[in-house]
Amino acid sequence: MTARTGGPAPGQHQRASYDDRQPRPNPLREGLRLERMAEPCTMVICGATGDLAERKLAPALYNCLLGGFLPPEFTVVGFARRELSDDAFADHLLEGINEFSRNRPAKPAIWQSFARGVEYHRGDFDDPEAYVELAKRLDRIDRDRGTAGNRLFYLAVPPALYPEIVNQLDAAGLASPGDRRRSGSKRGWTRVIVEKPFGSDLDSARTLNRELADVFNEEQVYRIDHYLGKETVQNLAVFRFGNGLFEPIWNRRYIDSVQITVAETVGVEGRGEFYDATGALRDIVQGHALQLMAMFAMDPPVEFHAEDLRDEKMKVLRGVKPMSPADVATNTVRGQYVSGWVEGEKVASYRDAPEVEPDSQTETFVALKLGIDSWRWAGVPFYLRSGKALPSRVTEIAVQFKQAPLALFARAGVPQIDPNVLAIRVQPDEGILLRFGAKVPGQGLQIRTVNMDFRYGSSFAVDSPDAYETLLLDAMVGDASLFTRDDEVERAWEILDPILDAWQAGAGGPLHFYGAGTWGPPAADELLERDGRAWRRP
Amino acid sequence: MNRSVPARSEELAVHRRLMRFGEAESLMTPMWEQHATSVRAIAGHLASLWDVPVGHDDGGDPLVTEKGLPHGRASVLNLLVTVVDEEAAERVVRTMVGLGVRHPSRAIVLVPQHGSDGPPIDARISTHCNDVAGGGDRVCYEEVVLTVRGEAAEHLSGIVAPLLIHDLPTHIWWPGDPPWGDPVFEQLVEMGDRVIVDSGDFTDLLGAMRRTSTLRRRSGVGDLSWERLGWWQELTAQFFDAPRFRRYLPNLSRLHVRYALPPPASRRHDEDQDVAPGTPAPMAQALLYSGWIATRLGWRRHRTIEPLAGGRLRLRLEGRHEMVDLLIEPAMTDDVRPGDLLSVRLRSLGETGAAEFIVDRDGDDAMVATNADGMTALLRRVPMESPREPELLSSQLTMDVVDRVYEDALRAAAILLASAREAAA
Repeated sequence: MTARTGGPAPGQHQRASYDDRQPRPNPLREGLRLERMAEPCTMVICGATGDLAERKLAPALYNCLLGGFLPPEFTVVGFARRELSDDAFADHLLEGINEFSRNRPAKPAIWQSFARGVEYHRGDFDDPEAYVELAKRLDRIDRDRGTAGNRLFYLAVPPALYPEIVNQLDAAGLASPGDRRRSGSKRGWTRVIVEKPFGSDLDSARTLNRELADVFNEEQVYRIDHYLGKETVQNLAVFRFGNGLFEPIWNRRYIDSVQITVAETVGVEGRGEFYDATGALRDIVQGHALQLMAMFAMDPPVEFHAEDLRDEKMKVLRGVKPMSPADVATNTVRGQYVSGWVEGEKVASYRDAPEVEPDSQTETFVALKLGIDSWRWAGVPFYLRSGKALPSRVTEIAVQFKQAPLALFARAGVPQIDPNVLAIRVQPDEGILLRFGAKVPGQGLQIRTVNMDFRYGSSFAVDSPDAYETLLLDAMVGDASLFTRDDEVERAWEILDPILDAWQAGAGGPLHFYGAGTWGPPAADELLERDGRAWRRP
Repeated sequence: MNRSVPARSEELAVHRRLMRFGEAESLMTPMWEQHATSVRAIAGHLASLWDVPVGHDDGGDPLVTEKGLPHGRASVLNLLVTVVDEEAAERVVRTMVGLGVRHPSRAIVLVPQHGSDGPPIDARISTHCNDVAGGGDRVCYEEVVLTVRGEAAEHLSGIVAPLLIHDLPTHIWWPGDPPWGDPVFEQLVEMGDRVIVDSGDFTDLLGAMRRTSTLRRRSGVGDLSWERLGWWQELTAQFFDAPRFRRYLPNLSRLHVRYALPPPASRRHDEDQDVAPGTPAPMAQALLYSGWIATRLGWRRHRTIEPLAGGRLRLRLEGRHEMVDLLIEPAMTDDVRPGDLLSVRLRSLGETGAAEFIVDRDGDDAMVATNADGMTALLRRVPMESPREPELLSSQLTMDVVDRVYEDALRAAAILLASAREAAA
């Protein structure tokens, strides 16, 4: 017989209840299709009247609603300077849905019901009183709508405003999780989503991280990069670790080289001022390309959890050694487009774009050769390239495997067969392609390269969720797997800063020019030709 | 020369609705139709389908060829469907047009005609191609309709086996009332990785539920009536996702489920009618829903308050902490499909008084309300469109594991029904 350690006294009947502090799982959830239901929460959009809220956030929320992923308590509070009523703000979101959502137009009855949980809070981001009032509003929403003290702040504002906003949130007691709040709801979590760019170099990234860290714990911060919300990027882990076939050959023994391409057909398109201060290396390579590389190259995590995944990605980034100025001259190529034709349309030179300096030295194209000093990848070059005004819009990772060790068919007059290639396309035709040699039917021996082509559109012809839907839901669920951690951001800058410095000092090789509609300057081709390789033409 | 032809407009309508492709195009090759043919000839034609260029309407690209063609052949499963007559076969074919894009497959529709004279096998084969999202690509799949007569109809598995694409999962969809105990049915079930039925089609609901619960396949059993409950289950579970309401869950004391029964002599017009029209067992969904709640919350049978009569039953169940009053009753309406749920009301006794959780269907929407903690806390409107058969089937075809929650609910539903019937007897 064991001693009683708690609970009601014998014979004393108590109505059963679940402890709010440690709720048991909902037994009705077991086996249901929607396992990623967001918790009741309030999402505060700072910069709610801007483009991002209209084009991305409103459609993403509406599609999450239609999919049943949002709980009934879910509430949106728009926070911005402009004078707007709740209804006018709801109309602003509705316009975004009706124009940009993959499910559009919004169904009136459904929208009206959702819009009852939409509020607008007018205030200047530097006005402490606005945050005090916001705190009162959020407490009231917790009481009225049962949002349980859970708050998600989305900073849809330029990064320069982040410090101001997070400090004001802190001062108003809005940054702490519920159990550490000074007033109002004592329960619930607080998370903050910040948009890229995460700094413009290592120093600014560290400053930004420090400013966020002064107010939030790292586990409260969700750095969003929409590339990571794409299905194919998520499928990378499934492809590699869910199939027994690939992991054994995912190393230096079988892989000759890897190419990562992030190509855009568009030029700067009205973002001249931003882009001229940024360039391709900061805009694409720092976030998208290095993250793709890390996800491609990482070791299997112990568990499929955010911290384990990010630890493994971080190991990859640590294996990429920063370049010396001499390395920069040898292993990087930067280019800038001049006028040409893309997709049948004439494109003016970059320097003629609005808000671009006429003698701009900003790179619109970059090609890099990187290596990862690890047991798995030592000696395997990773070629990264990204650019604007290129012939086609494509993001892909292409793995070139080593040649068969013996040219067995050479005696039959067949030259060496093209190496096998596995191409993982992230956009636009998300899918996976395997290229191998096959015998042409008939007498004699003729070998031709053929493609085995899996396309998401063909096998899963359903609307994939937009990346923002996935990522917003992840943040509400508390899954940070697809968000970038502070040390990843800083490591990326540690890799790229020496390149930027060398370019700045004129020691990293010249700025090459390329015609819009071509695959970058010839120097980019020479970067691979030197190694006996060539870029894929995706 | 063969010419491709656009699929019929109603097929396109199903396809578009299912895939939300907007201007998606569905094309089919001309039917290969053979009277008195053989399995070998059918297999030969299926093998040759992908070699033969077929002219496009506009004289452009060939529609279907495997070699050097712009259109991909994708196959993810075999689907075997057995139907009672040609009319049902036509409806299956229409359903498949919508399914083909999401589940490119080889679909074999069997129409056994046991007592019929005539040649043993007639075959119709066509290839359907659909443009996929993003444009540029077209995915093609095959559809085979076999009318099998006389003695051959007793050996369907032998006819079908050589026609399956090897190494792909095989799903058996049996619209209508499965012929339990029939050797042909048993043989076909044996070939499948998963069997899909619709308990709303069961003539002997109790017997068939019990039989279904004993079927053992690698990927289990699917039930379209269960699939129809998906959104109801989701909305119900959502009530208790919030910790403050989850505490009401162990103390539920009443479950009231209303379902649709068509008024006498009413036949609802429905252009996307199910393959097995009519609903012999309209109570199936309400029972499955109740069985689901009961098994998730550990309720047990206690006694019958009102035996089954006119589609209505009332039982007393033993919850973990409360006795639970279960009431299932029909409501006459032809606004929705017979058997679909109309409303669910859950009542609970919490520490601060009674609480009620309500889902009330209103056309294509539903009002969802929570009355708890002394206030009408939440009232919202959510979409509640009845999923059509292609959508249900499509969802079921993605399942490749045994659905334990369904199996538990099915067994519980049978127990609930048996209790109400025993009392009636």
